Amino acid sequence: MNGMDILMAVIGSVLVMLFGIFFGLVFKGIDRVLSARMQARIGPRVRQPFWDVGKLFSKENIIPENAVKWMFSSAPVLGLASSAVMLLYLPLGPLAPVLQGHGDIILMLYLLVIPSLAMVTGGFASGSPYAAVGAQREMVMMMSYEFPLAAVVVSIAWKLNVFGIANPFSITSIASNPIWMNSGILGIIGSAILLVVLIIVTPAELSKIPFDAPEAETEIVGGLLAEYSGRNLGIFYLADAVKTIVMGALLVAIFFPWGIAGIVGLAAGSVGAIAADIAFFLLKLFLVLFVSVTVIRTSFARLKIDQIVYTYWAPLTIAALFGLVLIIWDLNLLGIEWYPQVLGGW
Amino acid sequence: MSGGAEYSVPVGPIHAALEEPVLFNFKVDGERVVDVEVVPGQNHRGVEWMGMQRNPVQVIYLAEKICGICTVCHAYSFVRAVEHISGIESTPRADYIRAILAELERMHSHLLWAGIAAHEIGFDSLLHYTWKVRENEMDLREMITGNRVHYDMFMIGGVRRDIKQDQIPKILETLKYYKDNFEKLGKLFLQDKVIKMRTQGVGVLTKEDALKLCAVGPTARASGVPKDVRQDQPFGAYLDIPVKAITPDALTGEVHGDVYDRIIVRLLEVKQSIEIIEECLKRMPEGPILAEPNITRLLIQLKKAHGEGIGRHEAPRGEVYHYVRMDASDKVTAWKVRAPTYANVMPWVPMLKGQQIADIPIVAASTDPCMSCTDRAVVVKEGQKPYMISGEELHKMSVEKTRRMMA
Amino acid sequence: MTMIFELLTQMFKRPATNQFPARHAPKSVHGLVATVQAGKAKLNPPVPVPEDFRGKIFYNRETCIGCKLCINVCPAHAIEFLPENKKVRIFAAQCIQCGQCNDVCPKNCLSMSKEFAMADTNKMSANLIVEK
Ligand code: SF4
Ligand code: SF4
Repeated sequence: MNGMDILMAVIGSVLVMLFGIFFGLVFKGIDRVLSARMQARIGPRVRQPFWDVGKLFSKENIIPENAVKWMFSSAPVLGLASSAVMLLYLPLGPLAPVLQGHGDIILMLYLLVIPSLAMVTGGFASGSPYAAVGAQREMVMMMSYEFPLAAVVVSIAWKLNVFGIANPFSITSIASNPIWMNSGILGIIGSAILLVVLIIVTPAELSKIPFDAPEAETEIVGGLLAEYSGRNLGIFYLADAVKTIVMGALLVAIFFPWGIAGIVGLAAGSVGAIAADIAFFLLKLFLVLFVSVTVIRTSFARLKIDQIVYTYWAPLTIAALFGLVLIIWDLNLLGIEWYPQVLGGW
Repeated sequence: MSGGAEYSVPVGPIHAALEEPVLFNFKVDGERVVDVEVVPGQNHRGVEWMGMQRNPVQVIYLAEKICGICTVCHAYSFVRAVEHISGIESTPRADYIRAILAELERMHSHLLWAGIAAHEIGFDSLLHYTWKVRENEMDLREMITGNRVHYDMFMIGGVRRDIKQDQIPKILETLKYYKDNFEKLGKLFLQDKVIKMRTQGVGVLTKEDALKLCAVGPTARASGVPKDVRQDQPFGAYLDIPVKAITPDALTGEVHGDVYDRIIVRLLEVKQSIEIIEECLKRMPEGPILAEPNITRLLIQLKKAHGEGIGRHEAPRGEVYHYVRMDASDKVTAWKVRAPTYANVMPWVPMLKGQQIADIPIVAASTDPCMSCTDRAVVVKEGQKPYMISGEELHKMSVEKTRRMMA
Repeated sequence: MTMIFELLTQMFKRPATNQFPARHAPKSVHGLVATVQAGKAKLNPPVPVPEDFRGKIFYNRETCIGCKLCINVCPAHAIEFLPENKKVRIFAAQCIQCGQCNDVCPKNCLSMSKEFAMADTNKMSANLIVEK
């Protein structure tokens, strides 16, 4: 990298982070309105999360007396930073990742853990029994959803590998070779199962109902976040917003990476095409998040931590593996003449 | 999930899971509750003492304000106690109106509870849904009594407002709405997978424990104890309209005594209440609604009353019990209220032991606790150290106090 | 599953919330009141109250004979006797709107109105002291 590249990367990172924060908060607003509508309420205005953040930042930042102070205060920053870093590896619609070629989806799996770890650290550091219980639950939950998540990622990379794509684990390769391509009917079903699994992993990544045991408001009064207030809580709130976008972008990159510009006939690379693609990307992002966050969190009750572990380890892992098996079968059958090839490509 | 070392988690007096102040001291091991100590008395308001500064007519309103949800049952019990002392009898029509009010209150209270229970397990959509459904009934009570929450309908010897002929279609219409929605509500609560996961086998109270610890109301009934004041000692309109205590085996054929069974009992009771109200409307006799419509004359009559009386009623949460003493003065001499939650405090302990931390809110809520009704005992704080009064001491103090009051 | 369908249909229906007095909390309540009073904005109407609603208490000073019966039955001690002219004064902030005084008054000079929006920052404000 020369100086220019580094400068570009820095500017790009800042822009991407602002993008994540802004649209993360916008999505939180939309989520609240739609969830309220589903419950026959009016709900707040879409801009409410921005006001909330503003308010949190203007409030006193209380650090409990028996907290481990440096850990307690650095955890939110770590959470926000690690969430933002993930965005740098993800394609945002027509925009290639800022750090293209530097990390792959395995790195992503590791990075996804860091915001949760930051919350766990903050929880243990706050010296409150509620936060300690929450931190324990968060750790257990992290272990439980990792496996189905990994199964999804491996299935996708495996398929790319079979087709001889270089760097099957690179997110750019995954995004430019959607999993639906070159599939027969079994492959479509298998991919759909993987999609569902990833959609169900998303609320756990984001600690949303039914998988919000670590924060369970009525049980452990906010758990991990019980002792946080003011600016620190605001930063965690932002981290959550950014992570929401990360999860959405990941889902879009893996399952719905298509652009719209080509379809509506805008010249590739033109400003109009990029704008249309960004708008389309946001639409896809919000739709995916609406299903995986809003609908799920509104229509279910909270599970207990042992039930969460069971849900991820038994039904979802089996589902993910089943999806993988279907894709493998599908690829084996594709060579056979009578087997219908639904989606071609490559 | 087991951390090995036990540590303590306080829940309350102020906690998101509790609608009202009460304190639980939990000893937990990982996620498991090893031991629990319930410390009520966080919300003492001295209501009974206030009552003793007022005349019986004023106390009716005070009794209603003991609790915003069971306002009918406290007023009903209190007027029954005073009627018991003074010999004033409520008129037949008033009896029916009282029963209608009591059953409307039960419906709304159970729906309210169902919403709260859903909220405790993080199911806010169901909370909003149930409370939306409940709203119709709130409107109905507003129409009948003139207010949504505190009805102020009870009077010694009857009720203060009649149910007018032109109000009956509206009442029937609302009841029909509930009958139409009952199936759906039952489905939403009883067939939801996650609700089942969170409530079945959770917070079990065995029949033996329920009997031993004197649980009352739906808490006892869900454990298979068919106990209901309206069935066991019927009064007023319940003499004409027999009520049968509902136990969960009516629906499932089995009794588990868990939280799920408590949901079943309450839902079935909503339906039972609808039927009772319909029956009341059908059979309601004509006639006056007050034994003594002139309040001034009533007060003079009450001033002569002398003796002690007891009033009981089956509140939505269980039996409520009022003891009143009057000594031919214009004030109430003594007044003691035992709210159902008081009897349901001890059953919490066997219900909560061995459960997970996550179960605490829903188990605690499953008895439908109402601390504003219950908290009328005090922990003494002499000097700096608070200490608990033992049973004997308490008894001695009560005897002394009674002597003082007799003197 | 039933719940998801129920919720998705509710999403396309009108919300059940009553929008009184405004759809969203205004930036400043006093500002909203001022614009409404200037006739520039309109409040959303509340749910209509039923016929026999018990709202803020009304008092007819002319017909009152100062018999003090209402004071004797008021459970909230909300009524004060004015000995100099043998009239009463009711503190609406303390009144629990039970209507018992209405029933007992021999001259029917007390009544419950339909007014319920009585919120105030000062419980002794003129609006909350009923004297005429
Ligand atoms: S009861 Fe009526 S007439 Fe008598 S003092 Fe009260 S308001 Fe006046
Ligand atoms: S309405 Fe009730 S509380 Fe209000 S002044 Fe009359 S008696 Fe007192």
